[in-house]
Amino acid sequence: MNAMRATLLLAAAMLLQWWWSTHLAYWGAAPQFLFALTILIAARRGPVPAMLIGWMWGLYSDVLRADMFGADALLYMLAGYVAGQFRRQVDLEATGPLAAAVFLLSWAYLLLRGALGSIFAKSFLWAGWIPALATPVLSALAAAVAAEFWDSRGLR
Amino acid sequence: MQRETRIAHYVAVCLAALSLVLLSLPLSSPVRAFKACAAYVFDPLPYEGEQGYQRIALAPERVRALLTADVQNRRLQDALRGDAWLKATAQSLAAENDRLRADLGLKTPSALHPLWAHVMERDPLRWYSSFSVDAGADLGVTLNDAVLGRSSDTVVAVGRVVDVRPREATVLLLTDERSAVAAYLSSGTLEGLVQGQSQNQGLLLMSYINSEARIVPGDTVYTSPTSVTFPPDVLIGRVAAVNPRDPFLASQSVEISPASNAAALQEVLILRARAPIGRKFAPAEPVAISSAPATSEAER
Repeated sequence: MNAMRATLLLAAAMLLQWWWSTHLAYWGAAPQFLFALTILIAARRGPVPAMLIGWMWGLYSDVLRADMFGADALLYMLAGYVAGQFRRQVDLEATGPLAAAVFLLSWAYLLLRGALGSIFAKSFLWAGWIPALATPVLSALAAAVAAEFWDSRGLR
Repeated sequence: MQRETRIAHYVAVCLAALSLVLLSLPLSSPVRAFKACAAYVFDPLPYEGEQGYQRIALAPERVRALLTADVQNRRLQDALRGDAWLKATAQSLAAENDRLRADLGLKTPSALHPLWAHVMERDPLRWYSSFSVDAGADLGVTLNDAVLGRSSDTVVAVGRVVDVRPREATVLLLTDERSAVAAYLSSGTLEGLVQGQSQNQGLLLMSYINSEARIVPGDTVYTSPTSVTFPPDVLIGRVAAVNPRDPFLASQSVEISPASNAAALQEVLILRARAPIGRKFAPAEPVAISSAPATSEAER
């Protein structure tokens, strides 16, 4: 994958995240494409590129939310790190385990974000029950679709 | 593999430290400001109306003020475009009025030249009688020019100029006993003469009203078209009380509560009869007042 193509894909993912969150989010529930893709990159390319890209995407997500700047950057980076370490124990190349990892890490993301809120924003930032229940499922689905797309395009 | 893990650890520590620094800094507010400005630059329309105010509610106060000012500016520009159309319509109507007056052989009304002036001095001993304003002969003010004031959103009669000096003038208030102005009541357009009172300086006295007329307290009183000093239909005040009828007189009188509060006036509008020579301030548009002095009165 050359640099230009990679840059375009990264930008397209950011655009997709913004567009979906703005126009297709119902009751606050929308898939976290960037989070799922960070884990996908960690599974396919290793933790270092996943952490770097995830941190950058996290900053972008922080700009979109603008409630606790730096939180998403930290959590996306940590998701890339954890997924990159896990890939030695679990076969994250397969779609099923990848989706399961995204589901679990999404829950961890929600809880850690709330905890960071109680430290830096003086209140537990709870997304609400509907987003908390729906977002991990949607993110897992998005990761599965992205993995299929990745494999079909021969990016592996 | 070991090397990759080590690099991953280093990168994780560095990025985590950087993220924690970002979290510690008060960056949310500047980011919100940037977002609000960027969104407004690309798509200002959603910022109109109540939803727009909700969108910028989280932005810092200065950014909010800036965006609100721009929204208001665009609304005012729209309103100004509407006003230009109204002005053109008014000019067209004025031209038509002039033509019809000429066709009917009516006297053409004289144009008055309005001038805003500040109240600069009040004499405590003559509080309800007069005050001085900071406009005089140098700005074209002349004797007996009508002086109007503002009460809420209404223009009301205040008095007339009785003394003109080079840079200031004295205004005799309607509440002074030497003042008198022809007026009419809104109910039945009954004419009378409104005068100041020496006994009760807070109220005016409207006399020479037809004794058969039924007058209700609260009726509004306006300047009459027969007034020499004032343009017609300028609010003077409201009927405060109806005096008992004197069986030996053919007329009745009422007490009028003046619409202008002389103690609260800070600015007044002087209607100059003559165009000023060598203006110092930006002139206002001449106002055509359709006063038609037909009968004499005891105003001067």
